[in-house]
Amino acid sequence: MLEFVFLTITLATPLILGAMGGYTSERGGVINIGLEGLMLMAACITALVSPGQGPVVGLLAGIASATFLSLLHWLATQHYRIDQVISGMAINALAAGGTNFLYGKFNDPSRVGGIPALPDDLYKYSAFLLPFALALYVQRSRGGLRLLAVGSDPDKARLMGVAPIRVRLLGLLATGVFTGLAGAMLVSETGVFTDNMTAGRGYIALAALILGGWRPIPTFLACVAFGFFSALRLRLQGTPILGAELPSEVWASLPYVVTIIALAGFLGRNRTPAGLGKH
Amino acid sequence: MNWRLPALIVGILAVLFVALTLAKVNPIDVVTTLLKGSLGTPAAISATLRETTPLLILGLAVFLALRAGLFNIGAEGQFVVGALAGTAVILRIPGPAGIVLGMLFGALFGALWALPAGWIKAYRNGHEVITTIMLNNVAALMTTALVAGPFKDPKQGSPTTAVIDPSSRIPNLYSNPPVNLNATLLLGLLMALGLAYWLRKTVAGYELQAVGANSTAARFAGVDPRRVTLRAMSASGGIAGLAGALQVMAFEGRFYANFSPGYGFNALGVALLAGGNPLGVLPASFLFGMLEKGGTSMQISGVPKGLTTVLLGMLILIAAAIRYRRVRVVA
Amino acid sequence: MQGITKRFGAVTALDSVSLEVAPGTIHAVVGENGAGKTTLMRVLYGAIRQDEGTLEIGGKPVRFANSAEAIRAGVGMVSQHYGIIPALSNLQNLILGAEGGPVLNLREAEARAESLARRMGFKFDWHQDATELSPAGAQKLEILKLLWREARIMILDEPTAMLSPADSDALFGSMRQLTVEGATVILVTHRLPEVMEHCARVTVLRGGKWVADKAVTDTNPTDLAQLIVGGALVAHEPPPARPPGEAVLSVQGLVVRGERGNDALKQVSLEVRQGEIVGIAGVDGSGQRELFHAVAGVSRPVSGTVGIGGADATKASPAERLRGGLRVIPEDRHAEAVIEDWTLEENSALGLQRLAPLAKGGAVDTGARANWAKAVAERFKTKHGGLNMPMASLSGGNQQRFVAARALEMDPKLILAFQPARGLDLKGTADIYQAIREKCDAGAAAVVVSFDLDELLEHCDRIVAMNNGQIHFPPPGQEKDRDAIGRLMVGAA
Repeated sequence: MLEFVFLTITLATPLILGAMGGYTSERGGVINIGLEGLMLMAACITALVSPGQGPVVGLLAGIASATFLSLLHWLATQHYRIDQVISGMAINALAAGGTNFLYGKFNDPSRVGGIPALPDDLYKYSAFLLPFALALYVQRSRGGLRLLAVGSDPDKARLMGVAPIRVRLLGLLATGVFTGLAGAMLVSETGVFTDNMTAGRGYIALAALILGGWRPIPTFLACVAFGFFSALRLRLQGTPILGAELPSEVWASLPYVVTIIALAGFLGRNRTPAGLGKH
Repeated sequence: MNWRLPALIVGILAVLFVALTLAKVNPIDVVTTLLKGSLGTPAAISATLRETTPLLILGLAVFLALRAGLFNIGAEGQFVVGALAGTAVILRIPGPAGIVLGMLFGALFGALWALPAGWIKAYRNGHEVITTIMLNNVAALMTTALVAGPFKDPKQGSPTTAVIDPSSRIPNLYSNPPVNLNATLLLGLLMALGLAYWLRKTVAGYELQAVGANSTAARFAGVDPRRVTLRAMSASGGIAGLAGALQVMAFEGRFYANFSPGYGFNALGVALLAGGNPLGVLPASFLFGMLEKGGTSMQISGVPKGLTTVLLGMLILIAAAIRYRRVRVVA
Repeated sequence: MQGITKRFGAVTALDSVSLEVAPGTIHAVVGENGAGKTTLMRVLYGAIRQDEGTLEIGGKPVRFANSAEAIRAGVGMVSQHYGIIPALSNLQNLILGAEGGPVLNLREAEARAESLARRMGFKFDWHQDATELSPAGAQKLEILKLLWREARIMILDEPTAMLSPADSDALFGSMRQLTVEGATVILVTHRLPEVMEHCARVTVLRGGKWVADKAVTDTNPTDLAQLIVGGALVAHEPPPARPPGEAVLSVQGLVVRGERGNDALKQVSLEVRQGEIVGIAGVDGSGQRELFHAVAGVSRPVSGTVGIGGADATKASPAERLRGGLRVIPEDRHAEAVIEDWTLEENSALGLQRLAPLAKGGAVDTGARANWAKAVAERFKTKHGGLNMPMASLSGGNQQRFVAARALEMDPKLILAFQPARGLDLKGTADIYQAIREKCDAGAAAVVVSFDLDELLEHCDRIVAMNNGQIHFPPPGQEKDRDAIGRLMVGAA
């Protein structure tokens, strides 16, 4: 039983970190479907750098790479005014291809042993503290208030002397850091990097953000729920339940179906930040 | 002259150049390998065209949605749902009748799979990107479960359906192995022409594009944006589902777990690169097909295939940046 | 403010305007739309810089580079379109931009806010979402925002536009309170009763020029209304006797809900007959827009009916109305009338795409459309670089010519126009109204909404006024009387 709880926590952690990355972006009004790519790139870079430079430098390098891509998203959407969805998908493509290329070219296959990593607990504690820290930040600090304002109505915020483009820059920097942590955690936990190892976690993190109404604590809870169902799927694979052999896929589908229902407005009111996608 | 766009292109190329240099990869070699691998021999061209075919039809599906202002990221899910539905039908009804029914059911189920996303967007303003991605995941899970369970061929060990009857396969227009040219490619070409005609020459096509371009002006012009959104999304899903059924009948011969190597996602890139005219989907899908096939050759020569995806990502960014340039006032 | 001049391209919005306001008073600035009131205030508020002229506050010359500097100098504006972000709480709205440090001390902020509010006699639930605010409440919060930033000169732009009489009175009570404490209030308004009752002095602007500056005790509403709309420069003949035609548009008891839940249209009834051009005058925000949208079919009324061409069209879609002969020249060209990325040819069919000869069945006749586009472009001599160029390549004026021609050239039965000659010079304006006249002579009817009373007087058969969501008809025989209509517009009658 305890082991199951630990499994849930482990599976939820990258989701939480990724979702918090999505929060600092979308709460400020920048649509970000590139979380998947950011996490993937961070995982890859961490995996490449850690063996030679140690886990700390590896982590920092991973975070830096995710931040770099996140800044690219900021540049594309805020300066060039490229459609935010397109930019996000492009970043996912760049990351998918880029990680495949970089890992293929720079990884030393002859190296023995797993990738040196920092203890898991670092990530888990971060993941469990971060939502509360962000909730506090948004309620109790100037930067947090401005983030809320810019994401709700960038025009009016501008009238009040707040520059949306600058607030969003900071938001997307934070996105890079948090998704960087998420990606690094994946590698540190498994010890290897494999192609597309994020396996859609970035999209699930985004779904959790939406389910949570773009608020840190409910999003955190949604991530834990998703982690729970993932753990359930792993544990129940192949074993018959309720007499009939209910395929594990049913459990695995549940989070997605719930998200769709939530978006249809059947789960409470629509809390989409009013300034999402606006300049 | 606005310096922004050239700056972006230069910046992107610079990053690419640096990465390649650090990896000790010669860009010229990359290009020649790509070209030779995709177009160098008749067999290569044949394989490239085979990759192109599903990308072409899926590209048209996503293109249609895009014209209506919708991002159909769900082409992937609609594709596999249509493929499985089509397979199930063909297995029961072989022959030309089966082919027709298979196509119909493929399209129907693809459309049904897109419907929830379309409705939520039209009537609840729920962004279709998320709903379609969620539907993709459910489709993947559901088809995997089905093909490992009720639809599984008892004679096989791995999760796959039985192979369809040879009479249910879409014939090749030309066949001299290893060079094959399947009729589905021609079908895709006709569909592209048909879509081009529909968009330019029908009132419905006009109104759909009006909604995509400026839904407020469309309302003043007498168009109901919600109805158009719902129909466009469903139609897009239908075409994607059709592509899935065709894929089974033309190339694969059966449906199995992990049926799609990401065609649906590539289709979005195809549609974005195509520009304003559906005929642009033809060269765009061919380019993607080339990069798919050529990438494999590149892989053999030591350059990881991911480079092609990077190139495509960059192309998409540049194409999107070009689209948002300002128009000069001349009068 | 002395000799303030401001030009926007070829348009002179302010021509050597002066304004002198005594401290501790409520000073009114009045005028029609386009008179320059808001522009003048924006100069004072630092949002724009004047081309000529000087600004002095408290005897000291000042020059503002942006509104942040103006705020620091103690100037604040409560604008007509509230700067309140609904998703934030009242307290958050209050302190945004003037938080006083990286970390928010909410308790201190709330205490200060509460004391400010109490001084003004306001009451707020500080942690409630600002969506719950009534228009009166939003106004009060806006005032508190100025006080928070220690504004000494407060500009209120049309503050009572959305307020009930009771709320308006309360607002003016607060303003008096402010002046007692030494602040100065500048009130920009159209409502003359307010001016008479609450202000010490009034300055009148017209057409970008200073017209008069009087003590309120030295004038009266009739006097002011005349100054605002100008003396009768050209005698307009009474409308020519026309045989009454069929009613083309029949609006009865229309009630439309506005964005804030109030009634933007209150029991509006109007009948327009064949051969008539009816002008709807009124200052912006009086309900014309809502009436326009209701007739166009783009919004749905809460109650009441709309009849077009003798048939009930209340539930008819815009497409059905267009098929019945409705032709619209919308207010916002960019958002409502054209698709900038499309070619001129494609735009020429917008609104008419289902009608013959542009469509046969469900198919588009591109040949016919090309001819049509050519005709549309030629009608008002739209200057363009080719019918295959995007609409965005046309200047605003040429786009307007194109949109107007599109509405007028294909069998209009009811012409619904909002500022049809926007952005056009006198010749262009005359051409368009001439075309409207021709169509009406041939049996159509036209409803024209405009903020330019002179334009309406020149070209319409009769004019009605809208004010505060209600429609007012001038007395018989005075359907084109400038004074009468002016009074109705500003609620002075």
